[in-house]
Amino acid sequence: MGEECMLEKQLVEESIRQSGLPCHALRDLLSIGVCPRCIFRLFGVHGDVYSCLSLSSSLLWSVLDLSNGHEEATDCKVHEGSSSPQDLKVGPEFCVVCWGILQLSYDEQAQQTFDLVASTAQLVKGEGFEIDSFSLEVSVPPIILGNERSVWLYMKKRYGSESRFQDKFFSGSISVKDALRFSITKSLEEMLAVKVAVRSFHIRFTYTHSDASSKISLVQGSRTDGHKKQKRGDKELLEGIDASDLEINKESFGLDIAEQDRIFQVPPAKVNQPCKVTTLCYRTPVYVGGRYLKYSRNVSQTRWIIDEERMGETSVEEIIGNLTLSILKADSYKFHAAGREDIDVRMLGSGRPFLVEIANARSLSSHTEFAELQEKINNLEPRIVRVKNLKEVGVDAWTILQQGEAEKQKQYAALVWISRSLEDEDLKCMSSIKEMDIIQRTPIRVLHRRSPLERKRMIHWMRAERIHGSKQFFILHLCTQAGTYIKEFVHGDLGRTHPNLGSILGCRAEILQLDVTDVKMDCFNS
Amino acid sequence: MTDAAVPPPSPTLEEDSEVELRRLLLPDPNLLILSPPPSAVDSNYVHYFIAGTSLYPSPFCFSCLESYVICKLVDFLKPGHDQYIYRHANGLCVIGLAPTHASLSEGGVTSVDFNVGKSDRSEIKVTGKRKKNAQLLEPNSALCKVYASDNIYIARCCIKGSLLEVNNRLIKEPGLLNSSETREFATQGVYSPRPIWTSELYQDGGI
Repeated sequence: MGEECMLEKQLVEESIRQSGLPCHALRDLLSIGVCPRCIFRLFGVHGDVYSCLSLSSSLLWSVLDLSNGHEEATDCKVHEGSSSPQDLKVGPEFCVVCWGILQLSYDEQAQQTFDLVASTAQLVKGEGFEIDSFSLEVSVPPIILGNERSVWLYMKKRYGSESRFQDKFFSGSISVKDALRFSITKSLEEMLAVKVAVRSFHIRFTYTHSDASSKISLVQGSRTDGHKKQKRGDKELLEGIDASDLEINKESFGLDIAEQDRIFQVPPAKVNQPCKVTTLCYRTPVYVGGRYLKYSRNVSQTRWIIDEERMGETSVEEIIGNLTLSILKADSYKFHAAGREDIDVRMLGSGRPFLVEIANARSLSSHTEFAELQEKINNLEPRIVRVKNLKEVGVDAWTILQQGEAEKQKQYAALVWISRSLEDEDLKCMSSIKEMDIIQRTPIRVLHRRSPLERKRMIHWMRAERIHGSKQFFILHLCTQAGTYIKEFVHGDLGRTHPNLGSILGCRAEILQLDVTDVKMDCFNS
Repeated sequence: MTDAAVPPPSPTLEEDSEVELRRLLLPDPNLLILSPPPSAVDSNYVHYFIAGTSLYPSPFCFSCLESYVICKLVDFLKPGHDQYIYRHANGLCVIGLAPTHASLSEGGVTSVDFNVGKSDRSEIKVTGKRKKNAQLLEPNSALCKVYASDNIYIARCCIKGSLLEVNNRLIKEPGLLNSSETREFATQGVYSPRPIWTSELYQDGGI
């Protein structure tokens, strides 16, 4: 124990040196109620001192007394009405700048730092997260900035004349968030057995304080006081205030100096309670992509429920999503695909690219065998859906999916009937059609939910394949621009699609079945 | 489109994808039996036959009634001015002249004019998902004027609703109405009816 104390005292002394503050200034700050971590961070001190568990005001006092014992009586300018070292031991006192955020250890409350780290570790384990790293996010009430400014002004008033302070303001002062990270990262790394890294797992600490909200309403109250507040307003140069103070001005709620003086006391006022912290841990979304095939004519792509009644047996979204959700032990999923097909249209051939966005997965995606997941999905009975090239993809996958959708060509196979016999000339005629423009009015079957427009689309090529033993039925293979309504191209939609297959062949044409045979997109191909 | 009577062949995973595709695309023989198969217009729409009341209905109108599901008699149509309504499952209706309409039997329609006095129905421009600028019309509102050998017939809207579009092709090609093959293309207009009308229909026609 003795060695640790020595080490810590050395760290504190080193930090005092780094801050460049004379002892009387340090004592002054301590006496108005600023905690050691805030003192060090506002004056740009870096180092392991932040993670010292026993770093407290009393420790700092004792180090100061030891080093400058004989100077104490003459040099220390103690603020009127502030507490002396003895008073500090009476009851909990919270830092007037950070309101307890950086005060992780106290006399009676020396357990506090362990609570924060221990409770966080418990939370992570309790939720069942499998992690290989973690990163910390901190959110603090913005009022803290106002408190910092009050301390600066206080120091300026009392020590501004001393030249060694002139260049100290703002150069290298560390924010509360960074200081908190310095303080607990090492302990957390030990407890969670992983290192800090900005990857998928995040721990968020949200600090709130009841006074913060009342101060904010004060600020907002003064804002509505008639005159306009500008952030970069007319710089009122009051006496003794220069440009660096106006910099705080910009951050502090866009109020001018007089307003801030009214709301924020100099030095900052004391508070009775510390900030309360809420800890949340989550994982950033995991993206799983691939191509799917749909073999059923009674399964929709996404969940389709009208008036509480489900249309179709099930949906591709649910089949793929539910299984992925259970393997990754996640909270929820979102299904995106590059285009869609009707419920009675099969998706065959190369498959349609899709993306599943998994929220808050508990398992590590790098430890997941996606080949296994693909097998599981493909082996589900009944065989409705098949998945290919399933793997984890990056965040940009969604953009790639959206970009390709409108440009790419799609290939179909349709079972067509015509009102007369199919002749060889018809086959030739259809094969000779290349890059034909058609105009489609919005089909009546979707007109109730889409705009009435005339859409120009292109048929790239067509090929008819005779069916053995049938004169009027045949299979039509065609390749069209994305967004073409194939059923309407075949039967004409009461003449609203022109030209249509019937007008090309000079007879009536009906479509019985449709299958998508290829979605020509350059993604998820392997 | 018809549903397959037999469940489609289930895929096996070991097959090469090209081979599998060819096998899956082979049509079910049961589908090829029906010739002609039900047309898209027959299977996607409910057909209503609208006729004017008359004590002596024309004998022609009963023969074609087989293809209609429901017949509705109204008082704002003169006898012989038979029209049809095709109602889609999503509620939209397509209006047109029935094959037994008087104008069609006299040598044919010579021209169609959508200008019915107050406004020209072919000039409407409906935009957007909410179908802005669609005209709200009454059942007895005039839809268009049909000219056939010195007679002028007025086609009515037959339902209360918003007119979404009219068939401009009829202005240039009124002959579409005359031949039975192209009559399908000779619809007069597409309507978005008010919900109340559908319940009226159910009460009168009976389901």
